[in-house]
Amino acid sequence: MSSARGQYRRASLEDDDLIDPDDADLNDFDDPLAPESSRQPLTNTIASGASASGRLDEGYLTSRIPGDDRRAPQNTIDETVWETLRRDLLAVWAKLKEVLYPRYLFGGTMFDSEGGLRGAYSNIRGAGLTGTREELTGLASRVMDAEALLQSNMSPGLRDWDLWGPLIFCLLLSVLLSFTARSDQRDAVFSGVFATIWLGEAIVTLQIKLLGGNISFAQSICIIGYTLFPLVIAALLSALKLHWIARIPVYVVLIAWSIAAGVSILGGSGVVKNRVAIAVYPLFVFYLGLGCLCFIS
Amino acid sequence: MEAAAQPQPGALSWRLSSHPITLLTFLGFRISSVLIYFLGLWIIQSMIMIFIITILLLACDFYYLKNIAGRRLVGLRWWNEVDPSTGDSQWVFESLEPGTREINSTDSRFFWLALYIQPLWWILMAILAIIRLQFLWLPLVAIALALTIINTLAFSRCDKFSQAGNFAGGAFGSTNLATSLASNFVGRMFRS
Repeated sequence: MSSARGQYRRASLEDDDLIDPDDADLNDFDDPLAPESSRQPLTNTIASGASASGRLDEGYLTSRIPGDDRRAPQNTIDETVWETLRRDLLAVWAKLKEVLYPRYLFGGTMFDSEGGLRGAYSNIRGAGLTGTREELTGLASRVMDAEALLQSNMSPGLRDWDLWGPLIFCLLLSVLLSFTARSDQRDAVFSGVFATIWLGEAIVTLQIKLLGGNISFAQSICIIGYTLFPLVIAALLSALKLHWIARIPVYVVLIAWSIAAGVSILGGSGVVKNRVAIAVYPLFVFYLGLGCLCFIS
Repeated sequence: MEAAAQPQPGALSWRLSSHPITLLTFLGFRISSVLIYFLGLWIIQSMIMIFIITILLLACDFYYLKNIAGRRLVGLRWWNEVDPSTGDSQWVFESLEPGTREINSTDSRFFWLALYIQPLWWILMAILAIIRLQFLWLPLVAIALALTIINTLAFSRCDKFSQAGNFAGGAFGSTNLATSLASNFVGRMFRS
């Protein structure tokens, strides 16, 4: 028992960033959510300042302490308004580009490895809805084969999320769909579509979280919101009163585009391999439902 | 006349502000979102229009407060970062290095007052909507409450951390170790 304890103590000294010692009192733990959080940094500072400085330097070098591990510029406090706006607009554009061109399905090693990805994609475009689903499942599992690759490649643009895309696209969809509604039903259509989209995003995200995907709630909502872009085009065509026969092929393509973008981006979320189909299926239902709404409006 | 009418430093007058445009835009977004919601119900008889305008104003207000007004008026900023390998989100707080810029007391009074009063206004609106049985409006009020309360909580916590960091920096003088420590705590990150 005592030897085990000794080992434990040695380990905790070597790696005291990761393991809290048994005999630490409450002030040693890093719990900023506690009510005394405002003075927590102070006690830490004094305690560590009094102890050996080697430990301090180590802590200073690890990336757990902020200021070292930021993609944002070091000092964003004094930048101009234009710089802030420009950076955020560029971030929004980067995310939109991921949706416009689902590159994990087209480009790079994935394309070479399976050989038929582009063919599969054109199959999706051509096939009916049932075919689409099977093709999609196959495609999704192929995406997962390169999971490690994707994870290291997950674009930095998608790491920091924002809700501009979801908000704007959700509003656009609701407004465009309510244009063609009867005037006495306009309010109901608008609020119904608005609520449906947010609920749908929440449910799909919950599904992915419950399946063990390592993605944060807001991040997933951000990605799903941005992938609504092709459906906004569909809603616009509906508002312009496209003929219903012409709608069928166009909307199938647009829905497939949304799904391709969603699978391509969410592919890096690390959902467990054999559950990808389950994880993506609600997304498919969500897009299909919105597509049908666009179709009948 | 100017000298006699000059209010004392820290009074709530936009003339004393060192960033008057930022301050007025900030107050404009804050006030107009509530006002449009409140007045729009009677003036514009279209729910969709009011809904869209209010929600866009709320989004602009949230963005402006978080990214522009916060750092220009009081020198504080917060954001949320996601660790891509685990999916955990982290709050990051950043504040002005002590001694680089003086915070105008008028600006900071305006800022904190507006920050804390806004959620109260929306709570009042929620009560009004419930009393008048307009339950269709409650989602909008809920969104507004969520956005304003998130900003309020984040900024008040950011302020606490910055004050703690400044105090530590002052206590340890100007040795290398102490300054690096202080600047670390200025932008302190933790899991939530």
